[in-house]
Amino acid sequence: MSSEAKQILTTDGIPLEVSLKKAERKNKIKAFLLVAPLLLFLVITYIFPIGEMFTRSIDDKMITNMLPKTFKEMENWDGQELPPEDVFSAFYYDYKALVEKQEHGKLGQRLNKEKNGFNSTTKRLFRNIKRKKIDESASIKEQMMRVHKNWGKVEYWQAIKRTAPPYTLAKYLKGMDMYFAADGSIAQVDEDRRIHRILWLRTLEIALFVTVFCFLMGYPIAHLLATLPMKYSNLLMICVLLPFWTSLLVRTASWMILLQQQGVVNDFFVMIGLVADDSRPEMMYNKVGTYVAMTQILLPFMVLPLYSVMKTISPSLMRAGKSLGGTPFVAFWKVYFPLTIPGIGAGCLLVFILAIGYYITPALVGGASGTLISNQIAYHMKTTLDWSFASAMGLMLLTGVLVIYWIYNKLVGVDNIKLG
Amino acid sequence: MKKISKLLLALSFALSITSSAFAVTVASWGGAYTESQKLGYGDPTAKALGIEINWVDYSGGLSEIKAQKEAGAITWDIIDLFAFDTINGCDEGLFVKFDFDKDFPPAPDGTPASEDFFTDMPSECAVGNILYSWNYAYDTRKFSGSKAPTKIKDFFNTKKFPGKRAIYTSALTNLEIALAADGVKLGDGGTRVYRKLLEDGGIDRALNKIRELCTDPNGGCVFWSAGAQPPELLVAGEVVMATGWNGRFFNAEIGEGAPIKQVWDGQGLDYEYFALVKGGPDEANAKKALAMMTNTEMLAGSAKYIAYAPWRKSSLDVITAGEPWYKDGKTEMMSQMPTAPANTKNYFLVDPFFWADYGTEIGEKWEAFKAGL
Repeated sequence: MSSEAKQILTTDGIPLEVSLKKAERKNKIKAFLLVAPLLLFLVITYIFPIGEMFTRSIDDKMITNMLPKTFKEMENWDGQELPPEDVFSAFYYDYKALVEKQEHGKLGQRLNKEKNGFNSTTKRLFRNIKRKKIDESASIKEQMMRVHKNWGKVEYWQAIKRTAPPYTLAKYLKGMDMYFAADGSIAQVDEDRRIHRILWLRTLEIALFVTVFCFLMGYPIAHLLATLPMKYSNLLMICVLLPFWTSLLVRTASWMILLQQQGVVNDFFVMIGLVADDSRPEMMYNKVGTYVAMTQILLPFMVLPLYSVMKTISPSLMRAGKSLGGTPFVAFWKVYFPLTIPGIGAGCLLVFILAIGYYITPALVGGASGTLISNQIAYHMKTTLDWSFASAMGLMLLTGVLVIYWIYNKLVGVDNIKLG
Repeated sequence: MKKISKLLLALSFALSITSSAFAVTVASWGGAYTESQKLGYGDPTAKALGIEINWVDYSGGLSEIKAQKEAGAITWDIIDLFAFDTINGCDEGLFVKFDFDKDFPPAPDGTPASEDFFTDMPSECAVGNILYSWNYAYDTRKFSGSKAPTKIKDFFNTKKFPGKRAIYTSALTNLEIALAADGVKLGDGGTRVYRKLLEDGGIDRALNKIRELCTDPNGGCVFWSAGAQPPELLVAGEVVMATGWNGRFFNAEIGEGAPIKQVWDGQGLDYEYFALVKGGPDEANAKKALAMMTNTEMLAGSAKYIAYAPWRKSSLDVITAGEPWYKDGKTEMMSQMPTAPANTKNYFLVDPFFWADYGTEIGEKWEAFKAGL
């Protein structure tokens, strides 16, 4: 062909290439418009809140804007001993400006999260400013130290210095029971305040065991469902689905009635003489309760994917295995089980991911030893109001799930997951 | 970014409220307590002012109102709060500051409101509602007669009184009673116990005492978070003793005839407050309603339904004059009040400033302690 190959034209004289492109573009736009509502929905309800959560977890601008002079002066302070007069007076004037804007309370609240005791320390200063008791011509440092003894403690000034950067990863460190020490290095928190690592591990442990229990119980059920004649399997299916359709709270509350020490299960044990009346076992407000209730609640998420996979396996395969000389177990293990792996993968992943973020059930039946990291997140949302910390822990949980998903993908392969 | 998120949150909140847009909404703790508020002064006030007053339940804390404010769609007008929450909320600018004597009516004899209330308010945003008590109750089917617990020490004595205990889910008042049981004299209104807590090792001492109780094979702890739980746990036989709010115990014991009995030794007297939300849906009417609900007659009215003492001194006179004041027409209320002389032989006043200041740090230790149980 020569390089000046004749362009192919459409009937209206436009080159075919251009015309095709135009038509394709139209189609593309149409396709995009069709998915646009869903995309928009995802962006608004999913991507955007996660972004917002991330900014909240690292954003510390509020305090940076509140104490501009102080932080400027603090740049020349090494953070080892009590800061010089300049820092004190810079803080004093910053604080006075806040008092005029009536924003001093917010500062006290924020600093109190960094170091407890700041609330009353700053409030005492506020009252002195209100009554005009501070003589601005004399040494502010000495007067402030007289107002409250905490102003004379270097830890309090170090706490202020720590809040200087507008963005910080401190909350993420706190989620791992660590913090930035005064010299900028990373240190462990005191032993009697370490809680998060215990809870992360416990969350993983409980999620893992719940997945295993669900698998052990779900596999036979799914097998029965797939192999029983229609009239029995339908009934069984309803038995699986009925709890699935019941409210989560109702199911958790029923477990509370069943498991408590004076509850139905314990009454039954006493009746058949398994345990003495005064030594009824504790099955609630501890890990046992969390395991039992969560396993039951998450069971359908294991059974349904397994069932949908097992339903497609022809029964003749097992028969063929047996007729070739395998015992029923060998036939099951060599022929049937490998075919169900995609279902196992889907079920385990579903149950594990749901379990790792579980909140209501452990909060109600878990007691102290059965609570999970999600309960701690709720605690910071509701009680301490440290939302940036709650966001940070939420993101850590999300990252953990993504990492697990990634490992899973490497080991099993996401393509091998089958939901039906 | 901020704006869109506000819009979204506003949308979700707008969807969640439907009928309460043109009425005063009060958030309170639910159960027997909200019932007493609704019947005692909510409904009479609504009738007198010709406005609608809606009651919604919540479980304390400032998180919900903060979320509403951030979303720019506040749905609550009045909130029933712990003292330290009124302090924190006032600092954060969530609530309206009061000009006390101007905003609240005087007592019938003309005493200005600020003098008719028992003490000063913890913050400018708070108006007193009730005095209640953190005391404990026991199962009378388990212990009775001379073998019944009578002291705060008995709550921690698992040898003489074996069985599980229910305690509050956060450190508030648990540390105080632990120290009291560990031998610290409560002293004048409990100021001593707070001084001891602030000493080096004071908090650890209290935590150890509770750890001992919770890890004791004869003891053990269940943590409650809603006020209705302690009497329920006792009646179900799940625990043998439970700390709780005296009004809830009263309602179970007298109102429903449950087999429980209260112990007043080492009780923590605490105040409960109302705060008016800044920029609530109907701030003007809410303010009027709040002033009326906290007047002498109305506050006394709530004591008809629950054993919480009204905040105004003059309300007590109304009750005394009207005894037997309880709704059943035969129970005398004054002796059931946490402020009755027989009940205040050994007590502490819960210190809101202590908890506003050190609550977070103690909370961290407390949560770590619970996680390690």
